[in-house]
Amino acid sequence: MTFLIHCPNCGLREALEFSYGGETTTRAGDTSSEREFTDYLYYRENVNGWQTEWWLHRDGCRVWFLAERHTFTNEIRATYLSADRPADDAEGAPA
Amino acid sequence: MSARIPPRDGESIRRDRPIRFTLDGKRISAFEGDTIGSAVAAADVGITGRSFKYHRPRGLFCMTGSCPNCLMQVDGIPNIRACTEPVRDGMKVERQNAWPSANRDIHGWLNQVSFMMPPGFYYKIFQHPKWAWPTVEPFIRSKAGLGKVPRAEDHEPRERITLHPDVVVIGAGAAGLAAAAEAATAGLDVVVLEQAEEPGGALLREAGTDPAGDLRDAAEAAGARLLTGTAAFGVFEGPVIAAANAAALYRIRARHIVVATGGIEQPAVFPNNDLPGVMLSSAVEILIHRFGVLPGQQAVVLTASDAGHRTARTLVEAGATVSVADLRADAPAGEGYRVASGTTILSASGRRHVTGVTVGAPGAEAGTDVACDLVVLAGFSAPSTNLLSMSGADVAFDERAQAFLPVQLPENVHAVGAVAGTTTTEAAVAQGRLAGLDAAARLGASPKDAVARIDALRAEAAIAGDPVILPPEVGSGAGKQFACLCMDVTDKELKKAVTEGFSSMELLKRYTTITMGPCQGKACMVPSQRLCARATGSTFAETKRTTSRPPWTPVELGTLAGARRTPRKETTMHDLHTGAGAEIMWAGDWRRPHHFAGPEAEVEAVRTKVGLIDVSTLGKFRVQGPGAVELLERLYPNRFAEQPIGRVRYGVMLNDEGVIVDDGAVVRVADDEFFVTVTSGNTGALERWMTWWQADWNLDVRLLNVTGAFGAVNLAGPGSREVMAEVTDADVSADALPYLGAVHMDVAGVPALVLRIGFVGELGYEIHFPSMYGEHVWQTLMEAGSDHGIRPFGLEAQRILRLEKQHILVGQDTDAESDPFEVGLGWMVKADKDDFLGKRSLADLAQTGPKERLVGFTASGAWLPPEGASIVHEGTWVGRVTSARRSAAAGCIVGLAWVPAGWAVEGTAFDIWFGESTTQGSVALQPFYDPEGAKLRS
Repeated sequence: MTFLIHCPNCGLREALEFSYGGETTTRAGDTSSEREFTDYLYYRENVNGWQTEWWLHRDGCRVWFLAERHTFTNEIRATYLSADRPADDAEGAPA
Repeated sequence: MSARIPPRDGESIRRDRPIRFTLDGKRISAFEGDTIGSAVAAADVGITGRSFKYHRPRGLFCMTGSCPNCLMQVDGIPNIRACTEPVRDGMKVERQNAWPSANRDIHGWLNQVSFMMPPGFYYKIFQHPKWAWPTVEPFIRSKAGLGKVPRAEDHEPRERITLHPDVVVIGAGAAGLAAAAEAATAGLDVVVLEQAEEPGGALLREAGTDPAGDLRDAAEAAGARLLTGTAAFGVFEGPVIAAANAAALYRIRARHIVVATGGIEQPAVFPNNDLPGVMLSSAVEILIHRFGVLPGQQAVVLTASDAGHRTARTLVEAGATVSVADLRADAPAGEGYRVASGTTILSASGRRHVTGVTVGAPGAEAGTDVACDLVVLAGFSAPSTNLLSMSGADVAFDERAQAFLPVQLPENVHAVGAVAGTTTTEAAVAQGRLAGLDAAARLGASPKDAVARIDALRAEAAIAGDPVILPPEVGSGAGKQFACLCMDVTDKELKKAVTEGFSSMELLKRYTTITMGPCQGKACMVPSQRLCARATGSTFAETKRTTSRPPWTPVELGTLAGARRTPRKETTMHDLHTGAGAEIMWAGDWRRPHHFAGPEAEVEAVRTKVGLIDVSTLGKFRVQGPGAVELLERLYPNRFAEQPIGRVRYGVMLNDEGVIVDDGAVVRVADDEFFVTVTSGNTGALERWMTWWQADWNLDVRLLNVTGAFGAVNLAGPGSREVMAEVTDADVSADALPYLGAVHMDVAGVPALVLRIGFVGELGYEIHFPSMYGEHVWQTLMEAGSDHGIRPFGLEAQRILRLEKQHILVGQDTDAESDPFEVGLGWMVKADKDDFLGKRSLADLAQTGPKERLVGFTASGAWLPPEGASIVHEGTWVGRVTSARRSAAAGCIVGLAWVPAGWAVEGTAFDIWFGESTTQGSVALQPFYDPEGAKLRS
């Protein structure tokens, strides 16, 4: 893990400064079915390709933000704060 | 006898500065500037170690740190490459893999039974009979491996350094130095990595004073940073270069990478080609020119190029008798030495040192015997492309060079010098300059004169030279012919492995371990490839090299591990505690008092008078903003919307599985502001947890970890109200500050937030104040309490006190499956409020009911069950103890334990087991002290 990540607050930094928070998931609320709820709790897409995921700038400004990263090449095409996430993005929730 | 020759220009040693060290206990004299290798060569020590498998004697071979022959144990550290390791006064050097000595190694007999150890023998011959393995294995284990792992716990701490230069140059030979000078002159930030102690690369094999001086000075004058003794050992994603020296591990992320790693001389294969006295020309030239050591008197040089003749002239000039076996049919005549054109070395002979060779036409059965004490393999160099390959470059076979050269380079990676196939210093320098200019141009720093110079440089950089001739794949005659010196693999063994079906380099590598030893293929890749080609009926060109992987050069594990740094946190009152004689213990990263006078006396003080404990380690959060209420309502199953200002709620935090994540106090400070405390050891994780959800829900909240900003103490005991009254003007009566009240007031003149809560089950005040006033607040409270019998108390007393109240410790009494119903906190869950973390799971759990329960228990007897002791019923394991302490209040042992839900009935008896110890316990559902909580609320 020696790629760089653009923190929306601090700019381009070594990935070692960040903590990974996993792919975004849709939180199943209190009215969800057993299936939906189990999927939310225990199943992940684990894609080989582009993924929207959570990162924490642990050794920096400590902000949680979202990154669109290619899981095979580690290329990151976009990072943004949760408040700035595109409208069509499903509600994400930490795993 | 010394092999040292008279002083000469350009030698690196200071003959006026003697240095002494020991080799296997025997004193060796050396000079400042010597390496261990040059010093033992000067002392005529022929055998530098014993080989890995057959325990054959081995001697100095490369003098460049590229082979396994001189690995030694230096001051306890194993596998140090002696040929490049500088001597230090008093160092203790031991030769490895030999007992009682390298000269008379008792395991030399292994060489005679080598037929028993074919490649993969350990897969085969110890399979049957099975019962023999336990006997055989310890023997193999004791014979395997190199050197002795030091028993000492640690040595010098290593730093980790990250560099972000514009250009990193790997290798400070002619090409690398030229590239560095050019890029630095253009204004770029340049770092040069050189594994040798001295820059120069192959230039150091040349005669004269400071042969690399001009290039080095030009690079340094231009501002390039030279890191010598620093080996690049891997190229990782990024690309990031990993490099190491004795003091640090470097991570280097550069915008351009110039690989100038040069070439590595390859051995020739013939019987007994591993005898001490058989050397590469690099070793001979470095020993003579840099260290003034002549490694032999009668030399035979094998070559197929003018490189060998240069070595021959050097040897003659140094006083040796020389004959050259030149593979070329039209070899040039010797200048002071004999030349046999069209010949090769068919075999070597000798027992502990080479005493002669047989020279003849390639492939001949017999030839002319020549007596000698030095055999030099000169000019069979292979480009050192491994780091290039790791960076993503492709290599392809070049017919003229008879070598694999880089053909396709990743963007921003340059290959210059011998690694790219140059054969002259001039071409290498020109290539280096071009790479430096190219990097500068692509980084927008092109110097004005660049365009004018490029054509001339391109002409100089063109690679020219005669077609390369390699020695025959094998020699002839009796004796082992080694392809791999690290792992003792011979031509016959490779051939046998191929007939067994391991017919490619990658398979041979895994089966015979060629290219896997300490040299990582440096001194065996080409011979192995060619023998593989020969055995499979293909060509060198068709035989792929094995994949290059880090570490390309050996790295000490201590370097990778880095410095051992243990985070250590102390509260602002810490010095007062140690001054009061507190026994200090680790609590996570914190240093906290375990006890002061003694836990029993401290417990008694809290129960009967008053006690004071430093709880500054509590995690503290300020949660403020229009969304603060909503955030807490979603994070906790408790209700906060109607919580009055100035009131404390005990809250338990769950995850969506309904599992308890943490517990603590939540104080409403203002309409839109809360003060939240969490378990000390959980603070970092809780901060991540809460800010994560806050980010996901996009709530307008400022959530700040103020753990370090606030110190805190808990003043507890029946006398605590009187003590409080002495340190504040505020009203601390039960009416003004009742149980679960929270008030801002000055305490000891310091602004503080005071909470009426009591983890220990007494009337108590948790006082939070700016941490800088820690000593003042503590001292003022202790003075005010002195008339009331105050005692400071530590963690142990607190544990006893809370256990008497059956207050749980999240993480101690709960685990990753504990839900609030199981631990008796179901009353806290407001299932009818809007969605919160864990709501969905709790609905399910409420349906099924808990399977296990955390219950209090009492136990008799003197034995205190440890954490994890088993709860046993009629011989069956049914549960476990999470906490237990002796309680004076209860008059017995009290604790908490997990038991089947059906057992959560007052008085249920069970056995407690741990190892050989056992006792009886019974369930006690009520707190052992003040079950109604009257004291707490008083």
